[in-house]
Amino acid sequence: MIVAALLIVLALLGAPLFAVIVSFAMFGFHAEEVDLQVVTIEIYRLAEMPILLAIPLFTFAGYLLGESNAPHRLVRLTNALLGWLDGGLAIVALVACALFTAFTGASGVTIVALGALLYPALREANYSDSFSLGLVTTSGSLGLLFAPALPLILYGIVAQQMNVEPAVRIEDLFAAGLLPGLMMIVLLSAYAIWTARGHPKPRVSFTWSEAFGAIREAGWEIPLPIVVLGGIYSGTFALSEAAAVTAIYVLVVEVGIRREVSLKELPAVMREAMVLVGAIMIILGVSLASTNYLIDTEVPARLFDLVRERVDSPFVFLMLLNVFLLGLGMILDIFSAIVIMVPIILPIAIGYGVHPVHLGIIFLANMQIGYITPPVGMNLFIASHRFERPVLEVYRATIPFFVILLICVLLITYIPAISLFLVSSAP
Amino acid sequence: MNRDTRHDRMNRALTWLHRAEDGLLALLLGTLVVLAPLQIVLRNFFNAGWIWADPFLRVLVLWIALLGALAASRQDRQISVDVVSKFLSDRAKAIVGATVGLFTALVCSVVAYHSWLFVAGEREFGSTAFGDVPAWICQIVIPFCFTMIALRHLLRAYSHARDALDRWLPSRRTEGDGA
Repeated sequence: MIVAALLIVLALLGAPLFAVIVSFAMFGFHAEEVDLQVVTIEIYRLAEMPILLAIPLFTFAGYLLGESNAPHRLVRLTNALLGWLDGGLAIVALVACALFTAFTGASGVTIVALGALLYPALREANYSDSFSLGLVTTSGSLGLLFAPALPLILYGIVAQQMNVEPAVRIEDLFAAGLLPGLMMIVLLSAYAIWTARGHPKPRVSFTWSEAFGAIREAGWEIPLPIVVLGGIYSGTFALSEAAAVTAIYVLVVEVGIRREVSLKELPAVMREAMVLVGAIMIILGVSLASTNYLIDTEVPARLFDLVRERVDSPFVFLMLLNVFLLGLGMILDIFSAIVIMVPIILPIAIGYGVHPVHLGIIFLANMQIGYITPPVGMNLFIASHRFERPVLEVYRATIPFFVILLICVLLITYIPAISLFLVSSAP
Repeated sequence: MNRDTRHDRMNRALTWLHRAEDGLLALLLGTLVVLAPLQIVLRNFFNAGWIWADPFLRVLVLWIALLGALAASRQDRQISVDVVSKFLSDRAKAIVGATVGLFTALVCSVVAYHSWLFVAGEREFGSTAFGDVPAWICQIVIPFCFTMIALRHLLRAYSHARDALDRWLPSRRTEGDGA
């Protein structure tokens, strides 16, 4: 107990989370008189899960796309296709960001890579400063419910370690994220259209020549989401196969054909991407050990009994879960939150009859708004820094978007069908 | 003078080490990016594929993950909760930094120590990972990276501690200049 408290203090002081987790596991194993070499064995299991291939491959592809001019082409393309709508540019921003985040994995890259293009464009199109700022900040974490976003994959991996019933298939998570993710985009777009209504803005009119021009310019990238998403959602590709195809395709196109990233720059891009991969996977590796310890000592079962004594309706449990996850999302990044909390929360949630795939979507949707929850949501600071605005102004600007996404999260939480409708194995 | 050249030599050695790490990381990732799709093509279109390729790719992922983590430690970019530091004075920050660094170094050395034992045991036992490849060669990356990560955080703790001391005793700053 004292050890746990001490470790929490160290974590809050900024100790690397992997070190906190591994010391927790080692204290635990030591107390149970288990040889500490078990930690090495657990870390080595990273080399025994084929699915993990997807993590470095997708991350590398995402970083490479971010370094190329693909973000420009993506914005031009969506603008040519959707810009003529009322609130068109705002919808462009939402769709482009969601697509980009799905491929780059919600690491703050979206705000930096796309926000820098979209924010000035929104201002130029006469959207208010506050609206533009809020939209761009919010869009930075939109799309993490779409395949092949890393958080979905990671949730699946962690849940599979728990051996729960019904088993969690990553393909099911991809299917489950589809409607909730679309709902967020649709509701935010509706808000954008409603805001745009009333004050006439210079609108782009749709022209076939611009549409064809944009399509031709993005010709190399367009097959990518079609092949990857189509392949994954239709079940043609296994996830790691889709990742392998994506990585080699992006490498050949951006470095070999377009030459927008030179061979000389490539190692630096690789290192940047692998720093993120390493930081996530070392946490995953040590948490395999701590999860093993937690299960051995039946901590989740005891926690469930504890919660059960105080909370008896699933409704109240879900409400508490939302509040808890919102708070968690403010202080923990999405990857460590998944790896640390899912092993604890999943068995409890199942005890209340929540489907594990549904829980995954609840978890990630909460984490997504955690990114923009004042006072310490991470994207608020990234946006404040990137667009050189006081953070208070960013808070104010994101509030309407925050409220809309909160409504989405509540709908997702209390209407399981939104998530489970497309899942074949669900009841 | 003497001290400066030693310092330079040390810096040069570090630069080379970092380059070697980055080079190895790029090489491994490059292999993964090329080999993974190649294996898919061989398996699906030619019904061939190498038996060793799948386990080899998985070991590559482990190596990439740990070398990536090592690079993250080098740049102080490990994932951590960052809520308290905004409210701390510079001196308190340095003290906290030293404590946290020391803790991380300590924890990683315990992991490293037990990993060395484990790998030595595997070597003695002669277990193989795939084909004729000994398991210990695949596993050695674990103790290696944890040792290096421990060293990096130890160095960071040391520089934070010096910083804290400098702020504590402002007189030291002039005396100790260049030391």
